[in-house]
Amino acid sequence: MKRSIFTCLLAVSLLIILSLGQVNAAGAPKEIILGVPTSLGTLEGKQSHMAAQLAVEEINNKGGVKIGGASVPFRIEALDIRDASPGVPVPEALLGLQKIILEKKAKFIVVGPFRSEAILAGMDIIAKYKTPMLATIAASPAYGAKILKDPKYKYCFRVGADGRHMIGGMISSLFMFKQKFGFNKVYILNQDVAVMRAVANLVKKIAGGKGFKILGIERFLTGSTQFSSALMKVKASGAQIIVSIFDMPESGVMIKQAYAMKIPAVFVGMTTPMHDPSAWKTFDGKIAGVTNEMVELSNMPLSKWPKSLVFHEAFKKRWGTPVRVGKGVAPAYESVYILKAAIERADSLDPDAVVTELEKTDYVGLLGRTKFDKAHQVVYGSDPTKTALIGNYQWSKEGKRVVVSPKSMAEAEVWLPDYMK
Amino acid sequence: MLLGTLIYGLITSATLALLSIGFNITFGISGVANFAYGALYVITGFGAWILCNMLGFPYPLAAMFAVLFSALFSALVYRFFLLRLRGMVLSEVIATFAMGLAILELFRYSGFIGSSYTLPVFFEGSLFIKGIYVDAQRLFVVGIAAGATLLLWLFTRHTRTGRAFRAISQNEFTAMTLGIDSDWTATLSMAFGAAYVSLAAIVILPLGTISPMAGYGILINALAVCIVGGLGSTGGVLIASLIIGYAQQFTESYVGTHWIMIVSLLAIFLVLCIRPSGLLGHQKELEERI
Repeated sequence: MKRSIFTCLLAVSLLIILSLGQVNAAGAPKEIILGVPTSLGTLEGKQSHMAAQLAVEEINNKGGVKIGGASVPFRIEALDIRDASPGVPVPEALLGLQKIILEKKAKFIVVGPFRSEAILAGMDIIAKYKTPMLATIAASPAYGAKILKDPKYKYCFRVGADGRHMIGGMISSLFMFKQKFGFNKVYILNQDVAVMRAVANLVKKIAGGKGFKILGIERFLTGSTQFSSALMKVKASGAQIIVSIFDMPESGVMIKQAYAMKIPAVFVGMTTPMHDPSAWKTFDGKIAGVTNEMVELSNMPLSKWPKSLVFHEAFKKRWGTPVRVGKGVAPAYESVYILKAAIERADSLDPDAVVTELEKTDYVGLLGRTKFDKAHQVVYGSDPTKTALIGNYQWSKEGKRVVVSPKSMAEAEVWLPDYMK
Repeated sequence: MLLGTLIYGLITSATLALLSIGFNITFGISGVANFAYGALYVITGFGAWILCNMLGFPYPLAAMFAVLFSALFSALVYRFFLLRLRGMVLSEVIATFAMGLAILELFRYSGFIGSSYTLPVFFEGSLFIKGIYVDAQRLFVVGIAAGATLLLWLFTRHTRTGRAFRAISQNEFTAMTLGIDSDWTATLSMAFGAAYVSLAAIVILPLGTISPMAGYGILINALAVCIVGGLGSTGGVLIASLIIGYAQQFTESYVGTHWIMIVSLLAIFLVLCIRPSGLLGHQKELEERI
């Protein structure tokens, strides 16, 4: 009898100790796990993870997230789901998303899958497990359309820009060259993936309707290194502007080859390798005059937006490398702060409560002013006091990236490379 | 447009030939289909980059060391791993494929991603050929491909080791009765094959950037050329390079750039259906083997 009472008491004590391990004395969680399931093997994925980690460390150093009267730290669990690798099927990538929720116990997801195909398919997993996700890399407008259509996707948000913002930035760069130099003949070269096909088609449609002559479109498989025929077609067509829409490293080869083939057209659009501050050295200075859209402008230091300078200095100090990409990094950093603010306002980790507070976000930070629209998409524009920032920069002859739009952030006007004169 | 297509078709064909000869040498002599072939290409690129940018080597020296390292690495892999699997074709394929995957993923995992890894070109500038600008480095690739092929021909005809290569590829057992060490010759052939793909890396990679993902494309193209030309036949490889190179270029110019990869895969499919031994392959037809 005494033995059985003792055993019962021991069991109850153990249960109490174990449960205390999960929550602190005030009932708040011990930590909040943020999942980062993305293609960590890509520069965007890797640096987005680094940015989120930087934000987590800053927040934890200042005491963490205030919830239930206690201060709770964030912790990141990252997983390489390889959805950006050619040949990796989407279902395989989604297994990673599921794993990070079920096994790694992530309460929230930041960054999210790299490819739109994966994130669109992953929305059902997010809805099933009610795990709020703040996506930063994948850019398909279909993401927002699904959220608007079906309330079960209310847990999905996007802090990064989407394909429609890319189009706006590209069209504005076309107009810069049209207004200053009278250029209106355009050739489009794009990577053959979902979002870039959509962007290319929309650029063709919109620019075509605004007085530009679209002389042709060429599509390239991810990993292509042969651009000679397409560039010969561009030259033969008499195009003055090449709209280049790529996120693969090989696209830098195209710009080098265009230089060698003396193609008399300026590059605008979004060519990912151009975002790297070391691109000037990588491409032997053959990129002077290339105008590139940075769809989340705060991914580069902006002399007229001090918050971006603070972030870039902290990033370089923490990781020993500058931000080398134009997508995902600044939004990943901002996502963690936005989430912190929403959790504190909700004073809860309940996903529905946090979602309600996320929808009310009105935060001025690194990106500019961050507010979500009805499709849970951060609004991007040209005034950082009203929207998150989108813009263009142009590589100068001195090997620097110089912001040329929007006007609120511009450091110079567009200029024409020597080979165009 | 046509002239440009013809010029760039020649460049593409030369590039394919330079990429494929090494694979063909290795298979023709050792019988090993080296599925780590693409990884050797990437190892050379990153090796030269590391020697140049992190250890301060002059580029020509870095390139030479990278080629030698690749050759030595392949020889050692064959001697200490693949030799044990010799004759077990499926095991050889699995082992080399796994090794290639591991190498490429190791580079990816170690942070060798992005577009900032490049090698310097040997020749700057462009040449103007009948209205078409062609960069000098690409013409250099054509020259190297021609020179490497000639060197191989001279080597296999006028050197003792080269004649041993030919003997082993014709009939291994007869060659052994004449005192030729087949294991040593096979080891050398792996090293030679690696040296050729490394040479290809040194002259082709400066045209773009070094990326782990490039290894997969190199393997597919080399396989396509060798299967179409006939595994073990250098002449077949050269003819197949021309066929596939021009097919890719004409497809890019007149059909669409996103169909290029299908050309290589379609070539493999058609050859395997119509003439499995390839254009000039030495493997017997099914009827002869039964």
